[in-house]
Amino acid sequence: MSDMTPQPTPPRPRRLLLPLFLALPAVVFLIVFFVAPLFDNGMRSILTQDGWTVSRYVSLLTDRFYLGIIGQTVLLSAGVTLISVVIGYPVAYFLVRKAGRFAGLIIFLLIAPLLTSIIMRTFGWQVLFARRGLVNTLLVDELGILSAPLRLTNSPEIAIAALVHVLVPFMVLSIATVLQGIDTRLEESAKILGANRLRTFWEVTLPLSLDGIGTGAILVFMIANGSFVTLVLLGGGLQTLPLMIYQQFNTTRDFGMASAMSMILLVIAVACLFAQLRLVRRKGA
Amino acid sequence: MPVAQREAGKGLLLTGIHKSYGKVAAVKDLDLHVGGGELVALLGPSGCGKTTTLRIVAGFEQPDTGTVEIDGEEISSLPPHKRHLGMVFQNYSLFPHRTVAENIGFGLRMAGMAKSARDERINTMLDLVHLQGRGNVFPAKLSGGQQQRVALARSLVVNPKVLLLDEPLGALDKSLRESMQFEIRGMQQRLGITALLVTHDQEEAMSMADKVAVMNGGRILQIGAPADIYDRPKSRFVAEFLGTSNIFEGRASDDGSALVVSGPHGPFSLTLPQPQAHGQPFLLSVRPERMTLTPGETSDGRGSGFAGRVVGAVFRGNYAAYQVDVPALGRELFVYRQADGPLGSTTYHLGQAVVLDWAPQDGVIVSGE
Repeated sequence: MSDMTPQPTPPRPRRLLLPLFLALPAVVFLIVFFVAPLFDNGMRSILTQDGWTVSRYVSLLTDRFYLGIIGQTVLLSAGVTLISVVIGYPVAYFLVRKAGRFAGLIIFLLIAPLLTSIIMRTFGWQVLFARRGLVNTLLVDELGILSAPLRLTNSPEIAIAALVHVLVPFMVLSIATVLQGIDTRLEESAKILGANRLRTFWEVTLPLSLDGIGTGAILVFMIANGSFVTLVLLGGGLQTLPLMIYQQFNTTRDFGMASAMSMILLVIAVACLFAQLRLVRRKGA
Repeated sequence: MPVAQREAGKGLLLTGIHKSYGKVAAVKDLDLHVGGGELVALLGPSGCGKTTTLRIVAGFEQPDTGTVEIDGEEISSLPPHKRHLGMVFQNYSLFPHRTVAENIGFGLRMAGMAKSARDERINTMLDLVHLQGRGNVFPAKLSGGQQQRVALARSLVVNPKVLLLDEPLGALDKSLRESMQFEIRGMQQRLGITALLVTHDQEEAMSMADKVAVMNGGRILQIGAPADIYDRPKSRFVAEFLGTSNIFEGRASDDGSALVVSGPHGPFSLTLPQPQAHGQPFLLSVRPERMTLTPGETSDGRGSGFAGRVVGAVFRGNYAAYQVDVPALGRELFVYRQADGPLGSTTYHLGQAVVLDWAPQDGVIVSGE
């Protein structure tokens, strides 16, 4: 065993053909329905009738109006994400630590809204909050608390509420997965060492569940960023990138500008994915 | 044990503890006293209530009835963080997001100690558990034994009134376990800390504890010094859970000096260590290492001993374990003999005819419990 120099390995037989062949359907599918449209979209965003230009990107990234829209999009998503964390964390905690045999039911109730069509769900909010909807009828006619109905639909608040409603399950499940993995004996150790419940949560539970919050936040942020139907039906004048893209396409018919905007949206999404990758890597290290 | 450690009112006192989960009683009417500076081991199979008892002391479980007192002060209604205890878990339970030093200093920080004073105590503790200079490392970078030493340091640095040890060595390999037994025991004695150890490992209990309490079915069956519990078990369960025992079942003879046991070829009597009341049914336990073997077909005329045949022989290093079939008894008995034969084999071999015997005073009368 004194000779430790590695023996030259014999050339490996070329067995690449079969895997390549098997991967072909997926590769073709991705090329036709993903790479090609993306490429086409990218080209549209820089091509004009007589050559190519980055002027659309320049105006998107310098014009106050467009910057405002990008800002509003990011702000809306960030707001929805924050509210989802605040609402989702206690639910996840209850689900993992207290629910016991009701955990399955809670998960079903969480996922049930996702099984409904987004348009149905959105109209549901209309029914609840319309001028003569359930909430106003209750407040004005039944309870007599108010003299005139509130204007509840078509406001940013309702749009945010509707988005949170749909996206909170993603947050809850991400956090619950991580909470599940935290050994309760860690919390018991903290208590024995003199930490009360709040301190234990702050020192042990919360730091150890940050990964779940991170994953959930990225998911919620990305989906909120691309949300469209909810904002069209309930948005109340909120201007976000997806709405602008729709407008450029259908009203202004400026396909180039619409393409450029969607590329910006894509870049934000890629940045999110990159952030998540960093998070996962750090955890693996 | 030094008398000074048995100060009245010192240590841990459990009185009338009862705890059920639904209809299942985990702990039944348990009384236990751990004297100041003493280490008592709760030993028993899983589900015997030893862990529940420990968790009741820690405050993680509330007993249905009964009280917990530490140094004369009733603490039953206090939450865990106000009980001033230390606890070491089987899986170490170190905070993975904190360095070794931060782990050790956690309890001090919770107590509001200033950083400079904390650092000094942490360094003293690191020296004590032979982890000098490893303070800035995260627990995941340490070996199992090192992690367990950090856990020990973390629980001792706060000067707990009682140290709770929940299967502390269960996750370590055998060789490391032995040295950690000495280390934990040494530190506990040096600091004079009252300690309660929960384990299912009889060797761990016997080598670390001043007193061993054998538990089964939510009750303490017997409590005493390790040698006392091992050599004078009161019940069949204790005799069989702590080591191995050969149990004989029968009734006292007419004069009460022997145990009459029925065998396939008629009854025979075994001389008892102490006379018993006539006709009473009871059990006699004889440890395998108290049995003697001599080669040969029949007894040598002294009238004692049973002829048998070796049907199992296991080499265990310093001793050999034999299974000897005794036709007169219609059963097999366990015999441990020191390795004194030629090197490289057991003294007796499979199929060999032997005569099996033991001194009457090596038998122990036990209850059937």
